[in-house]
Amino acid sequence: MGYLDQEKTDALNKLKRERGVGNLDSEKNPFDYHAREYGTMPQDNKRAPFQWVSEVSYKNVHRIVTRGYDTTELMEEGYGVIEVLFVDYQARIPTIEEEKMLNYVMIMMMEDGLSGPAAISRIVAKSKTFLTQACGASIMAFGHAYGAYSSFGNRLEDYIKRAELENITLNQAAKLLVQENGIDEALGVSCLMLKDPAAKRMIARAQKLGVAGVNIEFMTEVVKAAQGASSEPVDIDMLGATGAVMQDLGFTPEATWAILAITRSFGAGAHYIEEVEREELSRMGQQLSPKEDYDGPADRPVPPLKDREKVSKSAICKTPEEWKKRFEEMKGVMGSGFSIIEEVADPSKKSGMKKVGKL
Amino acid sequence: MDREPTLRRKTALSYKTEEKTVMRGYSLSDMAEEGYSFYDAMFVLFQSRIPTQKEEKMLKYEMGVFLEHSMSPSAVGAIGVSAGRPNLPVCVAAAVSTFGGVHGPGAAHGYMLNKYLERGYKEGKTVDEMAKALVDDYLDNGTPVMGMGQPQHIDSDPRAEPIHLKQEELELEGVYLEFQRALEKYFHARRKADGRSYVGVNVVGSGNTALMEIGFSPNAGWCIGSVVRGFSCAAHALYNMKKGRAWGASRNEPMVQMIDLSMIKYVGPEDRIVPKQEERQEYAKKQKEEGEYKKWVI
Repeated sequence: MGYLDQEKTDALNKLKRERGVGNLDSEKNPFDYHAREYGTMPQDNKRAPFQWVSEVSYKNVHRIVTRGYDTTELMEEGYGVIEVLFVDYQARIPTIEEEKMLNYVMIMMMEDGLSGPAAISRIVAKSKTFLTQACGASIMAFGHAYGAYSSFGNRLEDYIKRAELENITLNQAAKLLVQENGIDEALGVSCLMLKDPAAKRMIARAQKLGVAGVNIEFMTEVVKAAQGASSEPVDIDMLGATGAVMQDLGFTPEATWAILAITRSFGAGAHYIEEVEREELSRMGQQLSPKEDYDGPADRPVPPLKDREKVSKSAICKTPEEWKKRFEEMKGVMGSGFSIIEEVADPSKKSGMKKVGKL
Repeated sequence: MDREPTLRRKTALSYKTEEKTVMRGYSLSDMAEEGYSFYDAMFVLFQSRIPTQKEEKMLKYEMGVFLEHSMSPSAVGAIGVSAGRPNLPVCVAAAVSTFGGVHGPGAAHGYMLNKYLERGYKEGKTVDEMAKALVDDYLDNGTPVMGMGQPQHIDSDPRAEPIHLKQEELELEGVYLEFQRALEKYFHARRKADGRSYVGVNVVGSGNTALMEIGFSPNAGWCIGSVVRGFSCAAHALYNMKKGRAWGASRNEPMVQMIDLSMIKYVGPEDRIVPKQEERQEYAKKQKEEGEYKKWVI
């Protein structure tokens, strides 16, 4: 389409200037709102045209290639999903031992009973959706507490790096990690697997296969440090075992997060199917919320609209003191969000690929 | 720590105690220790059985070949979502959720085959006869035949025939492959007779046939296909998050970005004056009467 021609632009803008449009003629505006162009920007011919840039894969009419390997040829040569994960995320073919180890981890991660991902998949299923929607929802259930592979792994890497930079032992770095962060949901050490040997068996398997490296070594020290610091019995859990093993297999914390959340999604798909097969669908308005579970304000009459100014309370705070007072008061209003303090970080490690696309 | 399940359900899939996690009766840890594969576990999950070696090989091939497909709706969805830099799982969720009635419609293909197999069974017709009936029904009605055609791989999907061949090599031919092969035969013949261009089988047509043959239901097959694609979509999102430009609109990149302003082509109503509130009622009534707006309703 491009920009509207100047004559029509001027005419339209003149008309709008005469009519006035709210606050748009204010001098505080960063530019003249009644001199703006109409229509879309012309195509940019000074730069290379847009293309989907990828280091991961390409395809043409007859071929699909990931990291240089034709995917059909990979399968014909006897490789499978496990190997392609190494190819996609690490641009390499894994050793047989590495393949065995990832296979092991993925079996362990496939199913976890009725935990968050399965539950959300079932809830989505009840509203009569496509299966894929429920599988997608299950992946979103992996955050920084449940399946906290990004938080766990990046912190593990930071302290391993710190041990190198500060010339301290892994044992010392592990103690620092526990001291500085506590036994939180991303530590990989908890009371969750005191009776279930699966996490420890996984670590033993990695050692037996010869794929254990610095992450497992460091995790062993973290377990000792946590046990020393905790008044309750704690031990390595599935987050700690799978996270450390995956990182010793060369996967980044983010890759681990994605791979294992997706692996669980197969299980979540089965939960979707079973929910549809065994349970009833859910209609909007069907579910009741018992009053005995409610602890908000007591029932109160809705004031007549004409009395609004009498009963309404402004949130405007004129001073930092007023602001702070209100902020603290609002913490008592559950569901308002004032009790949550979090960083919404930009996970980009680097932004931009300035080498690509030069004309 | 509260260890109660998020949702209480009677389930035949799995249970989890403090001691172990058990899926369809098998301890997951014991399965992994015994050397079973991830593919074996998929049979246990969806079919409650250990597969034969040949079935396991077929699933390995099908899942592996389907995992990566470069720029398709799923990868593009993941990349698009990643531009805002949410948590990575959100990008993957979006990618998996792109699988619907057109992109990788595995369940639709499966239900289609089952419907005609069921009809043939009831009417005492052969698989070959039912495949022809399906092609005629669909093409007579102008309905796309699931599993045929791919907008990028216009000479037939490079993954498709090798999947059929692998199924035959592994001697896993059953009613589904017989049906699909016959469907393709009649589909090509009909299009040729109608003077239409060649449209090859796609990866759903062959891959889902294999999945159904080795015992997966349409939805289980769909789950396997769409979720396995999530692995590569996560890699695409991650690449963009780690090395690409956030937002996808920077003018400082040498290449025009995905949502650069110049990428927008607008074909909607022309620029027009926003009516003032006092003009609104009359304006709105006139707009409704004239009805020109209807051509824009979506």
